[in-house]
Amino acid sequence: MLKYIIPTIMLIPLTWFSKNSMIWINSTIYSLLISLASLMLLDQPHDMGLNFSSLFFSDALSTPLLILTCWLLPLMLMASQHHLHPESLQRKKSYITMLILLQLFLIMTFAAAELILFYILFEATLIPTLIIITRWGNQTERLNAGLYFLFYTLIGSLPLLVALMWIQNSLGTLNFLIMQLWAQPLPHLWSSNFLWLACMMAFMVKMPLYGLHLWLPKAHVEAPIAGSMVLAAILLKLGGYGMLRISILLDPVTNHMAYPFLMLSLWGMVMTSSMLLRQTDLKSLIAYSSVSHMALVIIATLIQTPWSFMGATALMVAHGLTSSMLFCLANSNYERIHSRTMILARGLQVLLPLMSAWWLLASLTNLALPPTINLIGELFVVTSSFYWSNLTMILMGLNILITALYSLYMLITTQRGKFSHHITAIIPSYTRENTLMALHIIPLLLLTLNPKIILGITY
Amino acid sequence: MNPLIFLMIMMTMLSGTIITMLSSHWFTAWMGLEMNMFAIIPIIIKNHHPRSIEAATKYFLTQATASMLLMLAIMLNFLLSGQWSIISTPSSFTSFILVTALIMKLGMAPFHFWLPEVTQGTHLSSGLLILTWQKLAPFSILYQISNHINPTLLMTSAFLSILIGGWGGLNQTQLRKILAYSSIAHMGWMAMILIYNPTLTLLNLLIYITLTLSAFMLLIINYSTSTSSLSLLWNKTPLISLALMAILLSMGGLPPLSGFIPKWLIMQELTKNLNAILPFLMATLALLNLYFYMRLIYSSSLTIFPSMNNMKIKWQFNNHNIYPGISPIMLLSTMILPLTPMYMSLF
Amino acid sequence: MNILPMSSLLSLIILIIPITMTIFPKIYNPLKYPIYVKTATSYAFMTSLIPTTMFIHSNQEALISNWHWITIQSFKLSMSFKFDYFSLIFMSVALFVTWSIMEFSLWYMHSDPNINRFFKYLLLFLITMMILVTANNLLQLFIGWEGVGIMSFMLIGWWSGRTDANTAALQAVLYNRIGDIGFVLSMAWFMVHSNSWELQQIFITFPMENSLPLLGLILAATGKSAQFGLHPWLPAAMEGPTPVSALLHSSTMVVAGIFLLIRFHPILENNSTALTSILCIGAITTLFTALCALTQNDIKKIVAFSTSSQLGLMMVTIGINQPYLAFMHICTHAFFKAMLFLCSGSIIHSLNDEQDIRKMGGLYKSLPFTTTSLIVGSLALTGMPFLTGFYSKDLIIESATSSYTNAWALTITLIATSMTAVYSTRIIFFTLLGQPRSPSPIMINENNPALINSIKRLTIGSIFGGYLISMNLLPTSIPPMTMPPYIKYTALSITLIGFMLAMELNSLTYNLKFKYPAHQFKFSNMLGYYPSIMHRIPPLSLLTIGQKLATTILDLIWLEKAIPKNITSMNLMLSIKTSNQKGSIKLYFLSFFISLIMGLLISI
Repeated sequence: MLKYIIPTIMLIPLTWFSKNSMIWINSTIYSLLISLASLMLLDQPHDMGLNFSSLFFSDALSTPLLILTCWLLPLMLMASQHHLHPESLQRKKSYITMLILLQLFLIMTFAAAELILFYILFEATLIPTLIIITRWGNQTERLNAGLYFLFYTLIGSLPLLVALMWIQNSLGTLNFLIMQLWAQPLPHLWSSNFLWLACMMAFMVKMPLYGLHLWLPKAHVEAPIAGSMVLAAILLKLGGYGMLRISILLDPVTNHMAYPFLMLSLWGMVMTSSMLLRQTDLKSLIAYSSVSHMALVIIATLIQTPWSFMGATALMVAHGLTSSMLFCLANSNYERIHSRTMILARGLQVLLPLMSAWWLLASLTNLALPPTINLIGELFVVTSSFYWSNLTMILMGLNILITALYSLYMLITTQRGKFSHHITAIIPSYTRENTLMALHIIPLLLLTLNPKIILGITY
Repeated sequence: MNPLIFLMIMMTMLSGTIITMLSSHWFTAWMGLEMNMFAIIPIIIKNHHPRSIEAATKYFLTQATASMLLMLAIMLNFLLSGQWSIISTPSSFTSFILVTALIMKLGMAPFHFWLPEVTQGTHLSSGLLILTWQKLAPFSILYQISNHINPTLLMTSAFLSILIGGWGGLNQTQLRKILAYSSIAHMGWMAMILIYNPTLTLLNLLIYITLTLSAFMLLIINYSTSTSSLSLLWNKTPLISLALMAILLSMGGLPPLSGFIPKWLIMQELTKNLNAILPFLMATLALLNLYFYMRLIYSSSLTIFPSMNNMKIKWQFNNHNIYPGISPIMLLSTMILPLTPMYMSLF
Repeated sequence: MNILPMSSLLSLIILIIPITMTIFPKIYNPLKYPIYVKTATSYAFMTSLIPTTMFIHSNQEALISNWHWITIQSFKLSMSFKFDYFSLIFMSVALFVTWSIMEFSLWYMHSDPNINRFFKYLLLFLITMMILVTANNLLQLFIGWEGVGIMSFMLIGWWSGRTDANTAALQAVLYNRIGDIGFVLSMAWFMVHSNSWELQQIFITFPMENSLPLLGLILAATGKSAQFGLHPWLPAAMEGPTPVSALLHSSTMVVAGIFLLIRFHPILENNSTALTSILCIGAITTLFTALCALTQNDIKKIVAFSTSSQLGLMMVTIGINQPYLAFMHICTHAFFKAMLFLCSGSIIHSLNDEQDIRKMGGLYKSLPFTTTSLIVGSLALTGMPFLTGFYSKDLIIESATSSYTNAWALTITLIATSMTAVYSTRIIFFTLLGQPRSPSPIMINENNPALINSIKRLTIGSIFGGYLISMNLLPTSIPPMTMPPYIKYTALSITLIGFMLAMELNSLTYNLKFKYPAHQFKFSNMLGYYPSIMHRIPPLSLLTIGQKLATTILDLIWLEKAIPKNITSMNLMLSIKTSNQKGSIKLYFLSFFISLIMGLLISI
């Protein structure tokens, strides 16, 4: 694992000692190299994954997310160039440093073999994200958004810390690998329910569960592009990852504790989707669509069948790339129109046809067009929830419907229609932007050929 | 102040604390505390200002009361057990008075009212002394008698301190008051674990002192005393504003900064003693502290305060106030979380 | 390896070549691209004739399952193609129709700046359609299923500057998605209960008494084939260019729903619930859309409603357990309906994008070829003997009248059949006969080889296609061959009655004074008020829920108040309470004293 951690750390001096004109290029290229090197993790000859030390390991669940993390750093760097253009050199460098630090923490979080280490790094990711949101966001609401982001996550995760210590006292270890072998079914006590809540709540806030999701649209809307990208692509996935990991500890309790949260997720999924039909703000629309998609992951995780775990993992990776791409697209619109309001960007298809093609692809993957991995994920989730109870099909079906509707609503409002005259003088899209979109969509399409590698440990 | 006199006062203050720490006899311990108290008063009124005189008076009155209570407890202890030795077992009444006196000296709730005002009344450096060095002596005594303390009393006081430290700081704009409230909250954490594991108290104290020291050092550079003055840091000393953010987050106990070590270990120790609700509550209340640190961070580091153009070029002038020791202590106060096992074995 | 699957796959691969061509700028000639596409389609058609001929000759079927995709526990997914009766015939028919339509588009879309993109879209659509038709497992079927849906979205919204086009495109996706819910439901059910998505395995393991997955499939078919309840998207889809209407919304995409039910017929045929619901949905659709077609004035809308009505008829056929007949009707219908659209496209284009039949008339002189084809197509649609439609429609009506089926549904279907004649006559009467009502300065010219050839080919298909198909491929489930004469003549006589009625009515119309429309007329002209109700109330309520309940009440008020604001105000109050000290040392000492005493009292 050090072969990813140390190069990531060394990206920081690389950034600071690069020539002024080369900071973006150097950091992007080297982070791209790291992400290519991270593909080696896919080679996992044993069932138990790769054990590097007692601190770090990676298995079929964490590997796709790790690679996604490594993959996203160059993309974030590419996406932020225009946003940081007016800033001074030092600030550009510190911004890049923050992104690198975030990647460092994220790599270690996904690779952590120990729950307390995981917890510490899980929290550690907050700091760079917070700085990115509040320091480089665009409007004054970003301060509020930063507070919401920080405190929702912290309040959710503090019980987890206590619960982890409790588990360590009773179980004697918090190592994932040993835990799999040692985990005992929880006793049928009243307090086991609280333990379950404490363990799950941190991740449910992070996902976020409907009702605890208020921080997400705020943070997404206010964050600069890289912040939105990493939030949507990876930070939300930390929640899903944590839930998948910790659920082996909570064995019999999940069966009955899952009900209210399943209901809430199903309900929230439809609610957020229907909210999306009334959104006028592009970034907020994409953010709420994340809530709606993550509700599917929560449902899948709580149902706890091998199929649903596979669906959850696949959906996480798929959604990571898709929503990140959507945010990039929204940002490229924003840089031209200077507004997040969708109606002001209408008719862009005429002016930026290639960008419109990216929009189309992103919207289609977002609505889970077969045979994308989004569909694989959703289909598995729908199947397992259908197996759990036939009635969930009603809400799931409604969600499928509304997801398609809002994705296309977004597409039509931004790309179709008569273009308005204030956008006739916009700059054409840069090669950088087109590359950025291509680097999002290519992995999505390639994964379609072989989705095995993102199906997680239950595959 | 005449440097010679200042030196003497400082020596007295330092030696008072050291005497207390080293003594096993109640009387010498008490004497050390008194020496320390008398020496700090001139330091508080070092710059002659009605505020600092008021602060010194308040400090003197509370500390003297505490000392008298302590003396009362020592006498009672001698009457009841016939011993002056600190490690002797005091009766419950004696121990009650003892602990009350010491928490009054530490400024823990409900005897905390003086602390924010005294800190606010003095120079930043004297405030630093009050919030750090002055905690050493009382804690050394508490450490020694930790076996005989009434847990209900100490833990109630500790919990109250955490509450007060959280809520009190929310309502402040003055930095010294905020730091005083944060000190109250930290005292609460230290006292909470004293009964279960006094070593952790010392560890927490050490880290707390490192953190407060570095925070004060950063503030002294620009002599910032209020939130609004922090908002000008970004163009004078941009690096300091960055460092201040790290320190404040560390004080808030956010992993992976050093401030998380004591919180983590204390919560673990409490959980080990089959108590899960208390650490959860403490951690949640620590978020209140984090909230007001966040406000400071917002005004110091994460926003650019609108200012006139001639203010914006201040960064190019050299700043001579920077202490040489600031970078090692910065490192200590932010990045030692990976060294937690080493810290644990130190004690 | 056998030549049958080889040549079938080859014809699929030929279709992919023009798409990949765009990647290589060396060989990509933008000026000739549409012609390449057209030629590729015609080659694909020629190639697809090889397996079809083989099938006709030796009744040979093939199943390819070569590329293993994933195996999840005991669930295997691989790319598998099925070349059987349905897929082989339909491939040829679809390729033939598409070839003609592509050629027609060369003429129709020649002034469009994005004509290359249009051809790419058409080709992509064709590929997804082929995937749908040849799929042997549900996932692959779903890929094609969604692919045609999305391509129809893209093509309907081709003129993206028009709001109507965008709305229609969104409508199409919306109704198709409602159908997809059913499809996903069935997929989930089969995965859970049959543990496979391969058709054969599903057919073997399916327990007959269960109708839930079948109802899901019916819902899917209802959405895709625009059956009653989910029908409004089809007439709305006429906002797209006419070649699109000809290809997607008459001959290929809309029959995918019927095709799905035909594919799943082995498990449908023993489930009376499913069959009855199919029958009823089909009967209602065929009558309702025929009614709507009666009073429309937009030529494309009339043809679209007639398509919908024919789709209803196909559903009825499946409902009376005659999937082979339904399939035959799909094939014959493809010829003449595509041709009707092309003819109307020719008329529309000639009259400068005029779609209102009231502003046409007298075109039999200026557009003789189109007129001929239009009349042939209409007659074929009505089931005139020995034209293409006759071979399937007559059999359908016969087997319906002679089966023990729901008399109500049967009556409805018969009424709808007679209406086919009515609206066909109306088109002929208004557009072709009488005096020209179009503006005089229009230059009408149909002498373009692209136009003539494409329509000619389809006209030949509409005349002989049914004969060829029914001669060469006898359906395996044989419809009753003996029946009393009155049943044999039912279909024909009903159509004739329709014709006569329509002629009478239309002649009368000329002599009538303007009259305030009757309620029946309004019902028909307003499409049975269905869009006015269903396109207002449910979306409005959903949007209101989205705004009021989801956004305002829950997100902005309750959740915001319950957690963050509540905590804030509570802490604010407590913070003010705890830190309102005024600096008075006397009070401090009083409080110290009180705390001390209280502590003493409590602890001792």
